[in-house]
Amino acid sequence: MVINKREKNNIVIFDIEGEIRRSDITDVTLHQLVKEQLEVGKKQILLNFDKVDFIDSFGVGEILASYISTHNLGGKLKLARISKKLYLIFQVTMLTKVLEIHDEEDAALQSFFKE
Amino acid sequence: MAERRLHKVLSAVVKIKPGEEVLAVLIFFYFFLITAPFGIVKSLRDANFLEDLKAENLPYAYLSAILIAVAVSFHAKLQTRFSRRSLLMSTLVFFILTDLVFWALFSRPHWDWLALIYWMWANLFVVALTTQFWFLVNDVFNPREAKRLIGFFGSGGILGGVAGNLLPGFLAKPETSHRLLLVSAAFLGLCLVVVGLTFTWLRKNEDRYAAAPKREPKPGGKGSRHVGLGDSFRSVASDAYLRLMAWIVLVTGIVSTFIDWQSKSLIQGDPVAQQNYASFFGRFNAGILVFAFLFQLVMTSRFINRFGIRTGLLIYPVIILLCSVGIGIFPLLGFAIAIKGSDKALSYSINQSSRELLYIPVLPGLKYRAKVFIDMFLNRFSKAVGGVILLGLISLVQGPPGMREKGAMGLSPLVWVSLTSGIFALIWILFNLRISRAYVREVKAQLAKKWERADEVVAGTMDVDAAKLVVDAIESRTQSATLFALHLYELERQNRLTPEIRGLLALKPIGASGSGTRPLFEYDASPWVSDFEDSGVPAEMDKEIQEILALDSYQKVIGEYAGQVIEGKTEHTETRKMELSKAIGLMNGRSAIAERLDDLLSDDSPKVFQYAAESAGRFKKKAHVPLLFMKFGDPRTCEDARSALERYGGTIMGALSDYLEDAGESALVREQAASLLARAGDQEAAEALLEALARGEKPLKTVLIDALDRVRSEVPEIVFKEEVVRDRFEAEIRDLGPLRTPSDLLPVFKLLGLIYDHEDVFRAYQNLLKGTKDSVAYAIELLDHTVSQDVKDRLFPILEGLGVRGGRGTPA
Repeated sequence: MVINKREKNNIVIFDIEGEIRRSDITDVTLHQLVKEQLEVGKKQILLNFDKVDFIDSFGVGEILASYISTHNLGGKLKLARISKKLYLIFQVTMLTKVLEIHDEEDAALQSFFKE
Repeated sequence: MAERRLHKVLSAVVKIKPGEEVLAVLIFFYFFLITAPFGIVKSLRDANFLEDLKAENLPYAYLSAILIAVAVSFHAKLQTRFSRRSLLMSTLVFFILTDLVFWALFSRPHWDWLALIYWMWANLFVVALTTQFWFLVNDVFNPREAKRLIGFFGSGGILGGVAGNLLPGFLAKPETSHRLLLVSAAFLGLCLVVVGLTFTWLRKNEDRYAAAPKREPKPGGKGSRHVGLGDSFRSVASDAYLRLMAWIVLVTGIVSTFIDWQSKSLIQGDPVAQQNYASFFGRFNAGILVFAFLFQLVMTSRFINRFGIRTGLLIYPVIILLCSVGIGIFPLLGFAIAIKGSDKALSYSINQSSRELLYIPVLPGLKYRAKVFIDMFLNRFSKAVGGVILLGLISLVQGPPGMREKGAMGLSPLVWVSLTSGIFALIWILFNLRISRAYVREVKAQLAKKWERADEVVAGTMDVDAAKLVVDAIESRTQSATLFALHLYELERQNRLTPEIRGLLALKPIGASGSGTRPLFEYDASPWVSDFEDSGVPAEMDKEIQEILALDSYQKVIGEYAGQVIEGKTEHTETRKMELSKAIGLMNGRSAIAERLDDLLSDDSPKVFQYAAESAGRFKKKAHVPLLFMKFGDPRTCEDARSALERYGGTIMGALSDYLEDAGESALVREQAASLLARAGDQEAAEALLEALARGEKPLKTVLIDALDRVRSEVPEIVFKEEVVRDRFEAEIRDLGPLRTPSDLLPVFKLLGLIYDHEDVFRAYQNLLKGTKDSVAYAIELLDHTVSQDVKDRLFPILEGLGVRGGRGTPA
């Protein structure tokens, strides 16, 4: 798994590539990266899953932990371009009720401005 | 008025129903007027034979039965050409005329072998006339009526035989006995009148006796009952039950021939008999028939009703076996009288009645075909077979036939014949045992179940849970994408997302709703289909979902969300609660979110409760039981509460029993508790239900009986306390008001089904409901072989008093 960070209009965007699974843990996890951003005051975070092939429950746990951390600090964490399969999983687990998920990155970015 | 008086008189001797009196009396006299002349003819037959040809020639007389069989075949052909009425009348005329011919021939010096020709004629006389008599009885009465009246008709026959035999007994002189043939012709003339009156009466009462031969079907045409011997034989050969009957008739005929030879051989050697054979045989036969008459009148119906067909069939061969062995050891006249007496008394009474009853389970058309071969042909042919065996046996043991001189191994032919007779009697007993078992099987086969319990049919033919899930899934498309996804996931998990159901769910777009910003499911279910179509059950995805649900972070995030939903802080609260209620069902029952199910179960929305109850049914927590019971009061939630509690199975037996016993609870709740106990379907549940029934609470009675019946039907091996069931059966019978329909008896039958074969009792009940004369008769016949005597005594008078529809119909 490779995670690249970029920023647009003060919104931190993490572009994630590859697979997010327990067996493929990198030195720095997604949650740690998100926390680092929160610690420096970046509270608007977008996770871009465009190049993610697979996410297991560990990956979902990372997303949720990131969401909790962001939420606790009054920030916003949103998701964009997740696969159909992951969306289905989120629907079944009702995470679509909590997580804000967008089809496209631009739409996600626009939603930050509308709030 | 006259009929009422007649009814009163007849009621003293027979169970007769209003309207049956005239016909019963006519049939009684019909049989009387056949057997009376036969009494005369037969005494003269035996006397003439012993005087002119001696007992040693008797086997040839028995062999002549083959010619009788040929004549019977001719008679069968005649049946295909003439109507029943014409045939009966013309047969009587034929025997009147030939009777007069024999009178003329015996009036002058004659050839010795005329005795053999007369023997054959006499036998043809009895075969033709009695068979035609029984055909008419079968035409007119259904099995149950026949069983009730057969003793009365049989008595007419025996009484006629007594009268007919007493005439030669007292009037016959060695040189002038043939004059009695004129008397027999007179009896037949009277019979002609009675038969005419019978058919006239039947025509006038066509509505009541729909199957009576009001007008014979065109011979050979559609509906014709006339069959030839070949057809009859093929019908018997192709049916295992009828084949068994045929074997019994064959063995019975053989034994009967042996008995006749044994007794006549001993009588021929008796000095008293030698003085006037006709008189001796007249008195002897009359004495036998008096005994048979009394036995028939007093014992036959009671005996068969009390001990059943099996004992009825066994008593005759067992006595013959004992007498044969007796003659073998002590060849005395006393044994001859005993064996012949038993033969005649029992063959005319219990054996004849039992044998007629054996035809009950045979379908009417087949019965008619079979009777031609079995009763008309085989009955006689068996005597010929007996004659052949007798000739062979006697020549083998090398003693003069009919004598007591020593033969092979130092034993006389009489002893050899007696021992052989005993062996055949044993074979006969074995056949009778087999057919008595087959009889009950055949009766059951005739009473096929007409319908199954509706709940069993539904459970057996369709998966109610799956159907419900699909319907809910379809409905959820317009409610919420999440709810829809949850349904799809559940369908996929249960391997129920078949191509047909996928197509059904993806048929049309749904109205947008829900809070998800990505309208993935709002427009098409096909992504789900395409994603998982190839992989079948999404095992990997399932695992992922379960792991996600167990995550602490998930519990925290969704736990907070659940709190907001339950407190009504979200939009579309009802829909959100529905989603949550369903999603909780996917979680571990011990998780923090699952604890919130109590709130959702208490929610006022029936839709929320539906999904909450579904999840509660998965968790099976006892703490949820009271919450579920509380919802029985609302018709919108009652069924969902019930479905959830059903999923608990036997784990809440104690709670259910408590609800059932609690008189303070509403009737509805207690009824549901009874019903749920029935669903649990084990011994403990059955005992709880029976205990409640034993308390005799009338409002719950029907529900409890129904629940017990359900337990019995689903788990036949469960045992119910017989004394409690019998006690309740008595109470039900006592409480029966005036019956309007047989369905009023349903609780009675359900109770009986608890302690007797449930399937048989159910079959009998269904056939009672059908309500035709025959279906009711067959139903009672089946019960006759299923329930105990004390139950029969209480139930049968009620069943026989039920109104039936006019037509005979066929049993279900």
